[in-house]
Amino acid sequence: MFIEQLSLKNYRNYEELEAQFENKVNVILGENAQGKTNVMESIYVLAMAKSHRTSNDKELIRWDQDYAKIEGRVKKNHGSLPIHLIISKKGKKAKVNHIEKQKLSQFIGNMNVVMFAPEDLHLVKGNPQVRRRFIDMEIGQVSAVYIHEMSQYQKILQQRNHYLKLLQSRKQNDQTILEILTEQFIGMAVRIIKRRFEFLQLLQNWAMPIHKGISRGMETLKIEYKPSVEVSEDQDLSKMIKAFEDKFSKVKNREIERGVSQFGPHRDDLLFFVNGKDVQSFGSQGQQRTTALSVKLAEIELIHSEIGEYPILLLDDVLSELDNYRQSHLLNTIQGKVQTFVTTTSVDGIDHQTLKEASTYKVEAGVMKQVQ
Amino acid sequence: MHYPEPISKLIDSFMKLPGIGPKTAARLAFFVLSMKEDTVLDFAKALVNAKRNLSYCTVCGHITDEDPCYICKDQRRDRTVICVVQDPKDVIAMEKMKEFNGLYHVLHGAISPMDGIGPEDINIADLLKRLQDETVQEVILATNPNIEGEATAMYISRLLKPSGIKITRIAHGLPVGGDLEYADEVTLSKALEGRREL
Repeated sequence: MFIEQLSLKNYRNYEELEAQFENKVNVILGENAQGKTNVMESIYVLAMAKSHRTSNDKELIRWDQDYAKIEGRVKKNHGSLPIHLIISKKGKKAKVNHIEKQKLSQFIGNMNVVMFAPEDLHLVKGNPQVRRRFIDMEIGQVSAVYIHEMSQYQKILQQRNHYLKLLQSRKQNDQTILEILTEQFIGMAVRIIKRRFEFLQLLQNWAMPIHKGISRGMETLKIEYKPSVEVSEDQDLSKMIKAFEDKFSKVKNREIERGVSQFGPHRDDLLFFVNGKDVQSFGSQGQQRTTALSVKLAEIELIHSEIGEYPILLLDDVLSELDNYRQSHLLNTIQGKVQTFVTTTSVDGIDHQTLKEASTYKVEAGVMKQVQ
Repeated sequence: MHYPEPISKLIDSFMKLPGIGPKTAARLAFFVLSMKEDTVLDFAKALVNAKRNLSYCTVCGHITDEDPCYICKDQRRDRTVICVVQDPKDVIAMEKMKEFNGLYHVLHGAISPMDGIGPEDINIADLLKRLQDETVQEVILATNPNIEGEATAMYISRLLKPSGIKITRIAHGLPVGGDLEYADEVTLSKALEGRREL
């Protein structure tokens, strides 16, 4: 799929933007703080209904304005699909093919993007939150059911934590309510973990050969899910539920003491192994970067295999962060099949056929113009 | 903008209603000015009467102008089944269906620790009292199919388990008369989970 047309209104530093794009590499050039990343972010927001940079939607609205509007037309195998997202101080309004979608789970997934930004280089090194966010966003793109389950899980988690606090401060002592909240919690937790297991298995299948390629055949990448409650991939849901129940009855007093749910998908993590060694603790800087890059490239292939079309790739300021060899590996992979947006301050020094054929746009103080 | 006091008071009153913001309130207030005095009086009376003459049924908790309410009073209804709902509006919805001939019990809410609503804050104690005599054989839990409604249903079913009364939960899934292809993924997956053998 590719985005044919993008228009912005009152989005960050853009008062107005109208642009047409082709199904190839589009380079967005400009000095720092002119609005390059804002264009990338707007495409991301149009796909995911939230930003990768902030959880506060109001930041997306141009200074002193009431609302921001992003409109796009995505060309897919089955024709063009108009997508609209209006962000106001009261909330979001999402439309697909001019029909308003009440649930965001019905909106997300109509356009698929893979974003690779400097912070993604921290996927391996960064805190577990970064990795959880990564899997949630990626599964969400291909599964509306997962988005729904995740939002239900968040609600149960909030209720349960709140109740644990009431028990902690002895404002409540009814254990039955805790048992019920725990039962609801476990029911949703095991589904989420099951899906994450399945997703990571697929991701690894794609990532392993890619990583081998980038490392010139020297390295074997393995991705492992690290649950906070001992469950394993081959268990069925009822076995997982049993494991959770055992764990929760053991830690019940501790949870009440702390007043917070300490185990579950919101505390799980991912591990990356290269040649059997944990990359996070023992990998070199280079191995960590290669791993992050392999995982991102694997994601492109995974989405393609799940939905039958390539997603749109957003490379925000990362090309210059990669060495020549990794750069050309990346550009070879996307060549001719993935619509890609690249932001950079300069293309000097990147010598690749894909960039020579690219369309170039220049951004200056919230105005974007195509360079002929 | 500055309004004369009577109208700004009226606007403020309308804004107390749910879903009404300043613009709609102003529009409604100005409309009231253009109405005939009789109609306005009737309107005001209706408001006051609804508040004064309606109360909650001491048996089931439904809104009523007589106590017990017309449903609880009706001897033709099946007294062996009680349908538990969250809201008086849910009773009205069930009654529109005209298929259910049992009695109701209105909880006036659902358990939600975040909102400070525990079992003691909703009408559960009265339900237990009603079940003490032997007539009731089935309790249908028709709370909403969301986290809070589900937790409430689970809570009540735990309380009632020892009594041996049959406890059922309403189904959720596909809307009737709709096409499968128009259902969203989440609804479809719920419907698939709740499938039954034929």
